[in-house]
Amino acid sequence: MSAFVFRHSESPEQAARWDRRRSLATQLRSVYGRAYPRIIGARREPSWLLFEILLPFLTTSAFVFVYRALDAPAEFIGFVVLGGAMTAFWLNILWMMAAQLYWERDQGNLELYFTAPISMMSILFGMAIGGLFMSGTRAAVVLIVGATLYDVVFAVEQWLLLLAVFFLTMAALYGLGMVLASFFLLSGREAWHLSQGLQEPVYFVSGLNFPVARLGMLGAVAIATIPLAVGLDAMRQLAFVGSEHADGVLPAWMEALILVGMAALFIGLARWMLGQIERLARVEGKLTVKGT
Amino acid sequence: MSAELGAARPGRREAWAASRRAFRTAMRLGWQTEANWTDPLLFFIYSVAKPVGAAAILIFMVDIISGGRADPAIRSFVVIGSALWSFVVAGIAGLAWSVLDDRERYRMLKYLYVSPNPILLLLLGRGAARIGIGAFGAGITLVIGVVLLGLPFDPLAVDWPLAMVSMALGLVSILSIGLFLAATVMQTRQDSWSYPEAVAGGLFLLVGAVFPLLVLPAPIQAIGLVTPLTWWLEGVRGALFPGALSGIGGEGSLYATLAGRAEPSSAEIVLALVASTAVVSVLGLLFFRWSERRAKEKGLLDQVTGS
Amino acid sequence: MRAACRGIGEPAPMKGPRRYGRFARPHAQRYHRELIVSVSPTSLAIDARAVRRVYKAKPEPIVALDGVDLQVEPGELFGLLGPNGAGKTTLIKVLTTLLLPTSGTARVFGFDVARQTTELRRIMNIVSGGEQSGYGLLHVREQLWMFSQFYGLGVRDGWRRVDQLIEAVGLTEQRLQKVSSLSTGQRQKLNLARGLLNDPWILFLDEPTLGLDVSAARQTRELVQQWQRALPGRTILLTSHYMAEVDELCDRLAIVDRGRILASGTSAELKRRVQRESIFLLEVDRLPGGHQALAAVRGVLSAVEPTAHDLGSAADRQTVSVKLTLDDDAALGGVVGELGRMGASIVALAKSEPTLEDVFVELVGRGFAEREQEPAEKVR
Repeated sequence: MSAFVFRHSESPEQAARWDRRRSLATQLRSVYGRAYPRIIGARREPSWLLFEILLPFLTTSAFVFVYRALDAPAEFIGFVVLGGAMTAFWLNILWMMAAQLYWERDQGNLELYFTAPISMMSILFGMAIGGLFMSGTRAAVVLIVGATLYDVVFAVEQWLLLLAVFFLTMAALYGLGMVLASFFLLSGREAWHLSQGLQEPVYFVSGLNFPVARLGMLGAVAIATIPLAVGLDAMRQLAFVGSEHADGVLPAWMEALILVGMAALFIGLARWMLGQIERLARVEGKLTVKGT
Repeated sequence: MSAELGAARPGRREAWAASRRAFRTAMRLGWQTEANWTDPLLFFIYSVAKPVGAAAILIFMVDIISGGRADPAIRSFVVIGSALWSFVVAGIAGLAWSVLDDRERYRMLKYLYVSPNPILLLLLGRGAARIGIGAFGAGITLVIGVVLLGLPFDPLAVDWPLAMVSMALGLVSILSIGLFLAATVMQTRQDSWSYPEAVAGGLFLLVGAVFPLLVLPAPIQAIGLVTPLTWWLEGVRGALFPGALSGIGGEGSLYATLAGRAEPSSAEIVLALVASTAVVSVLGLLFFRWSERRAKEKGLLDQVTGS
Repeated sequence: MRAACRGIGEPAPMKGPRRYGRFARPHAQRYHRELIVSVSPTSLAIDARAVRRVYKAKPEPIVALDGVDLQVEPGELFGLLGPNGAGKTTLIKVLTTLLLPTSGTARVFGFDVARQTTELRRIMNIVSGGEQSGYGLLHVREQLWMFSQFYGLGVRDGWRRVDQLIEAVGLTEQRLQKVSSLSTGQRQKLNLARGLLNDPWILFLDEPTLGLDVSAARQTRELVQQWQRALPGRTILLTSHYMAEVDELCDRLAIVDRGRILASGTSAELKRRVQRESIFLLEVDRLPGGHQALAAVRGVLSAVEPTAHDLGSAADRQTVSVKLTLDDDAALGGVVGELGRMGASIVALAKSEPTLEDVFVELVGRGFAEREQEPAEKVR
């Protein structure tokens, strides 16, 4: 039985001593490992093409037609298309990351993750990356097909800044997702309901279909707290340059800086919170309790 | 021996009583597990945050374009459609989530199948419980609309018979669409939790919920005209708020071209609702039975997927 | 354990720093060699002292572990035997860093379970009975590979290791089958393979044969033994409520009840606690002198007619049965001699030993089944 005659260290102490390179490599491998089931699942069950791509595209189209019914200026159609694309990433974070830990605990995977020498951040990131395949496809379809079908004309002057804002928004969003995941680790079924509750209200305060500046004080608060709101506001300004309707709460470059701060804050906070919450979960025995 | 066989073959009255009992139990179970209106968080999320948030998005869209001087008829149209949509999301999700919950989380689906009660009744009961949650959401949104946004609601002017008939038939059609979805998720994996909302979102475009059908291209209007939800919305909207903007008719609409009239009458609405609901119900039932058979052949009833 | 474990002679291990990738190469020649298990003098595999774990519950908190002291040497296969609700799983969860003890300390190979979780997780693994973890849509091979990544194996090395383990546990035919379609026994083999991916220095098995049929349970036990014996220094902590399993597998065991260890030692030592004499069931073709004749033999404490329960299947046979209680096995010689003088022939002779349940009853005053029906211990 050669598989059983396998030893890669001479003592437990040696086996437990990993250098930084090996630790980092393991974290990266676990990101890939955790993303793997998502990617394979998408290949083996193509129903997501209908339910995650086509139907959500129709939802975005519904808002396009609301504006058409109101004879809205053309840029508003573009706002809806842009907002519809970004919705995909918010949903990825809510469902493929934050609330996912609840299901993982239910199935008994969570305790296996915690007994492995990896960080929960790697697992969460792997979940998000795995879900990014579907969300990215959805966002691309909404953006490209929506822009083509509904004659959306983008006016971009600062491509680099636009791309930077997009990636910063992603970083901040995923950091927030990890913060939410740490809360959900302690919840039972509430995690599922909380994720439900963070859909429409967040769409509203983030100005998914309209400039968040129109929300006044509420918009300002959203800019200060929700990465989706800041990112969308900045992207709207950068994608529709010259439009009198794409007014932002703050200039795009300032909002980019806010996103830098948010990304650093949320990722740092997530790291700290996941450690604290894990400890709390170990004290209360919630890492392995199934159900509510 | 014959007494034992008799117990396995109840009379019609006993069967009917057992079915009612099963439906009521399933409704209560659905309410306990999902609704529990005594839990403030759950109540707030499903009956306030989600429906009011969805309506707020639309109201703001309208107000932004009109510069705060929106036509009250348009505002009403949007608020009523958004409020009623709570029924659709809740009803569609109710059946599909019941299948997913029972299969993936509670691991009870196989036990439900081997129990003597028809699974359809149990799922419909759970779906009905969820519709109750939707009803709260719809009610709260309408109340906010009337109180804060000036929706012109006059209880004396309401066409109650039309409202009740439309509502009853509409709920049947919602549950039938939910049955389609329940049948679908029986074949798919755990990530199917998002499918009901995706379907509701897709239907949102087609049925004149928040904008009149005439805004859509003619072929898509045609799809809307054969969908029962379109007629349901028209019936309830027209009954509760007489004189409201029609979602189906209007100058230049496909309906006007085909019927030669600007708007459908109450009788037409009811007739179209009955016909379309019947078709969707039969198709939903047939699809569900097919999916069940396939699930039994492939051993999907007790699979646990996860991803 | 301070000893050097010597395997079959092979070149001494390579000196100097190693690239990580080389560790994953399963070369039997390279690793089946002279091994020095350089465990420090104080590093027991498990060293738990006064471990207490209390769960908050209504109306009163529940004491799952009540001052557990447990020491396991490296290289042992140690069993924890007790009824459901005894605290076995809770103890394993404490030792595998899933649960913090309310008080007390626990170390695994010198690593504190509360504070050195990262180091500890690198050298251990856990396999539970009835485990349904993983993702149903993946194949067996994919599932194991995914877990191999969590333990830092390289992509290609991971696949190689996975294929070897699949063959070792007997899942070769199922390697491309979806996990959701595996039988219970196959599932448990998969779980065991997952537990061995990182070649743990200590493996925690929590009721590994739970729900398995006789054949699958036997295969699982054989695999566990083969793995442990393949290389020295591998420690296993096994929990079970199947006495025969613990009796068969374990070097030493502890009997657990209500969160406390009641007794520990080898199986033989524990059984000797309840029975100091030797008991034999003797079947002869005839007994002219009757049972009293044998009772008079030196060293025979009693010679009586056995009960139907004692006899079992022998009850129907046309022979004379005697239940002999001897103060020592050596007295049997005298009995055989006396039978010879009587002209009787021995048809069957079997030694009757107490079971671990007898030990449990002696310690607790009731059997497993009765104990499981009692309510959990509340906080005192």
